[in-house]
Amino acid sequence: MSAEIIIPGELDDSLDPTQHDVRPQRRRALTQGRGLVGLVLVGIVVVLGFAAPLLAPYSPNEQIPGANLLGPSSTHWLGTDEVNRDVFSRMVHGIRVDLLVVFLAVPLGAILGSLVGLVTSWWRITDVLTQRVFDVILAFPSLILAIALSAFLGPGLWTVVIVIVAAELPVFGRLVRTSLRTVREMPFVEAAEVVGAGPLWVLRRHVLPNSLEPLTIQLAVSMSVAVFIEGAMSFLGLGVRPPAASLGSLIRDGVRTMYDAPYFAVGPLLVVVALVLGLLLISQALAESRRA
Amino acid sequence: MSSPLLSIEHLAISFSHPRPAVNDISVSIGAGEIVALVGESGSGKSMTARAVLGLLPDGATATGSITLTGADGSETPLLGVGEVALNKVRGRRIAMVFQEPQTALNPVRTIGWQLREALRAHGRVDKAAARERAVELLTQVEIPSPEERLDHYPHQLSGGQRQRVVLALALANEPELLLADEPTTALDVTVQAEILALLSRIRERTGTSILLITHNMGVVAQVADRVVVLQQGDVVEEADTRTLFASPQHAYTKQLLGAVLRLPEPDTRVHALHEVDDRREVEPVVRFDGVHVAYGSRKRGRAFPAISDVTFDVRAGEVVGLVGESGSGKTTLGRLAAGLVPLAGGEVLVAGEDLLGASASRRRELRRSIAFVHQDPQAALDPRVRIGDTISEPLDIHDVGTRAERRARVTELLEAVRLPASYAARLPHELSGGQRQRVAVARALALRPTLVIADEPTSALDVSVQADVLTLFRQLQEELAFACLFISHDLAVVHEVADRVAVLKGGRLVELGPVQRVFAAPRADYTRALLAAVPAPDPSVRPVRADETPDEAADEDGLAS
Repeated sequence: MSAEIIIPGELDDSLDPTQHDVRPQRRRALTQGRGLVGLVLVGIVVVLGFAAPLLAPYSPNEQIPGANLLGPSSTHWLGTDEVNRDVFSRMVHGIRVDLLVVFLAVPLGAILGSLVGLVTSWWRITDVLTQRVFDVILAFPSLILAIALSAFLGPGLWTVVIVIVAAELPVFGRLVRTSLRTVREMPFVEAAEVVGAGPLWVLRRHVLPNSLEPLTIQLAVSMSVAVFIEGAMSFLGLGVRPPAASLGSLIRDGVRTMYDAPYFAVGPLLVVVALVLGLLLISQALAESRRA
Repeated sequence: MSSPLLSIEHLAISFSHPRPAVNDISVSIGAGEIVALVGESGSGKSMTARAVLGLLPDGATATGSITLTGADGSETPLLGVGEVALNKVRGRRIAMVFQEPQTALNPVRTIGWQLREALRAHGRVDKAAARERAVELLTQVEIPSPEERLDHYPHQLSGGQRQRVVLALALANEPELLLADEPTTALDVTVQAEILALLSRIRERTGTSILLITHNMGVVAQVADRVVVLQQGDVVEEADTRTLFASPQHAYTKQLLGAVLRLPEPDTRVHALHEVDDRREVEPVVRFDGVHVAYGSRKRGRAFPAISDVTFDVRAGEVVGLVGESGSGKTTLGRLAAGLVPLAGGEVLVAGEDLLGASASRRRELRRSIAFVHQDPQAALDPRVRIGDTISEPLDIHDVGTRAERRARVTELLEAVRLPASYAARLPHELSGGQRQRVAVARALALRPTLVIADEPTSALDVSVQADVLTLFRQLQEELAFACLFISHDLAVVHEVADRVAVLKGGRLVELGPVQRVFAAPRADYTRALLAAVPAPDPSVRPVRADETPDEAADEDGLAS
């Protein structure tokens, strides 16, 4: 908190209480209320994933003799699957796949999309062309895109990553373009131009910092979507290839053996819920702090 | 008045954060009375009016009491009652007029439709009767040919006429009280004068009480019977308008009145004063030579002339005030001098060189000597850049001096605009509006410009702050002797700072001359109309009203001030 300085002999209006600093505001958004809940949920999943080798009592692909489709017990927390593997061990290792997807593919798509949006919006022709291409990509539901792409690339982890990058690229490309256009019209940009600032200076000092802010919110939203895409793709068999596990493939296996081992799918499902919900809560908290 | 029509008692409104918006406000409005709520931003004047109709924003809690007393003596509480009870009062017994007529009207519906809606919202009126009443209402707000206007859309009306329609909407159900929140602030002076006169006449004709919320002391002096002065959520003074202006009691009221800029009285002697043509043989800092500017695409053949054939110059060290109403092209002319607007004809010479014809690098050089101060300091400062960096940005761009020298210059500039050097580390939102505008001035002066273009630099500020910034600006101008093109719609402000005035109307220059001459003895009819429209901050120089015989003493006052 900065103290209000009153200059002696000066007559001035008091500080406007409606103005808040964005940065502490954002910090506050993530340390209280739903932001905090989101952060904790995501945090738990991240810790589970990172500590997978320490937490997992078995190796993810280890077949345990005699342990076929067991229910939850003290030795197998989430039971075992049809080929005698420990579900909990597979789940914590599977989380790593999703973390890779979330924290690698989405930022990659965001960076590429922002760059494309930034560069192409400079000239009218490239701007119109890219935006129309984005329209086409955005017209496909991401799952259709996933099926189409994996038809070319074959199923696998990297197909998932490519699908997510391809799905998020236009989202960010468009967002960056829109906020660039808004910020470019702001008086402070003109103020810099009037004192002689060139386009690069204006871009670096004023336009970029002010246009990137809405991206943080979209990033959180896109990450939750990515978890969903990975889940859906693996569920359909377009994702990671057996014997590797991901949350989506575990859910698929769980659903397949639902009648024999109803508990199987519960663990991975809860993790997906925690991750998606946590990311959405974070994005909501960020969006709210911006509006305040 | 025996019992007031509306009485607000000990109203307090608070948000969870940080201080209460309204602390303890009691106001009573008698039948047929015009009461002005005056105060600067943050004084709680709008909140008070909103509380009357239960229009407080989410998260606000109000305590105290607001009571509406009917002609039959029935009392209706308005605070803490439900929406249903409020809806019986809203529009029917108390109506509200907002500041911005553009947004208060539905752009896709005709005026007639909107008036009929307002009539039907409170009771069933058949179509023919509604139409008849709508015409009557438009007549009441003095809109010419009301029958035709019914079928017009808001965009076909001028700003002033739109505000008249908004008034007609408010009057639709013959309310006992009209809440007018800055009803003329968004309007040009000449239009403002008309609307103010209309408000007085409406009160006379219908007996409607009016609670007028404004920051403009001139407006208060012109229409209000009684004034309530608010400061940071408290009533600091309440008095009859004449008494208040003649002998303000509270220090804050005195300060508010002291900050009001006054126009000089017309003086016939000045006629004799012939203009000295001291056009020295020095090159003017900027010269507009037969300048034309057009907006819109010329390819599509729809160019709209914003500036037509304007010629004048700004000499070294002089302040030229550029005056006009909205759409007069004053801002365009200022932007033209800064090279921000394409030229359709004529020449802009900066220090004798054609600015727009120069090569890019030469233009950059020429621009160095020109600084621009924007209207809204909030928008003109990058919210993410610290004050110190904002001020040194021009120095950084032009690579002036070493880092240490630049930092020293920032401190020097902050000092020049009377801000502590420690402010360099702050972000814009940590400053008040007036402080932000000082920063904008400091930044403009960083490169020691020979010409400063100031586009309405004080119009986004409160009166007392405005006075401060103006004083500072004048001191700096005298000290540093830069030439200045000072753009403003506020004649009093221009009178305060300018050496010469240029009056623009519809993109044409209608008058140009030394400030004393133009204000005291305007030659163009338009200038005269502009000057006459400024509401004098003196209740005794009101336009004479039909029901009121002006007393002699007041007239003398008016001449003396």
